[in-house]
Amino acid sequence: MTQQTFKSAKRRYHRVFWPLMGVYSVIVLAGSYTLNQMDPEPEWLQASLAVACAVPVIGTLLVMLRYALETDEYSRMIQLKGFAWAGVITVSIIFLIGFLQLFHVIENFEIFWFGPFFFIAFGISTLIMNGGRQC
Amino acid sequence: MKNIIRALRTERGWSQASLADQLGVSRQSVNAIETGKYDPSLPLAFSIARLFERSIEEIFDDETEAKLAAE
Repeated sequence: MTQQTFKSAKRRYHRVFWPLMGVYSVIVLAGSYTLNQMDPEPEWLQASLAVACAVPVIGTLLVMLRYALETDEYSRMIQLKGFAWAGVITVSIIFLIGFLQLFHVIENFEIFWFGPFFFIAFGISTLIMNGGRQC
Repeated sequence: MKNIIRALRTERGWSQASLADQLGVSRQSVNAIETGKYDPSLPLAFSIARLFERSIEEIFDDETEAKLAAE
């Protein structure tokens, strides 16, 4: 990837990030509304909506990674450390909950929630490393 | 690593944002370098030196060398 200035990298990030979030919101809202109107809910539609919801989220992760690789060196360090900390914290929680399930301490835990947890861990990590400012 | 970037910048009446724009980095980067929280890479150090028309050694204080000399 080519090295850009901080501002152009940020512009490129916002140009893709917000449309992706818009598409995600529309798919989630329209999808759940459509499914609620159907009884029984067709399995092919449920599967299609599940994949359609995941695509913009995966796109967002890739855009975040592209921003980290394209931005200036200090911001890149903060972003990549954020990814690393979020990964370590999320995987640690996955192991903890996994063992709690294996030893029958807790019931089944929805795997979905690890996704939002990763984003929250990433946001908090980068804010802490950057002294409370967005990078 | 200690440096005199803040002094050079204020001498010219530039804000951190203005210096960041000229270097193509974020204002947070300039602040982190000025306060010694982050040591810039060699290419960025050269850009800073070029912008202030000074040598890298004039801007950045090599503490390692001072420590070695003291030993």
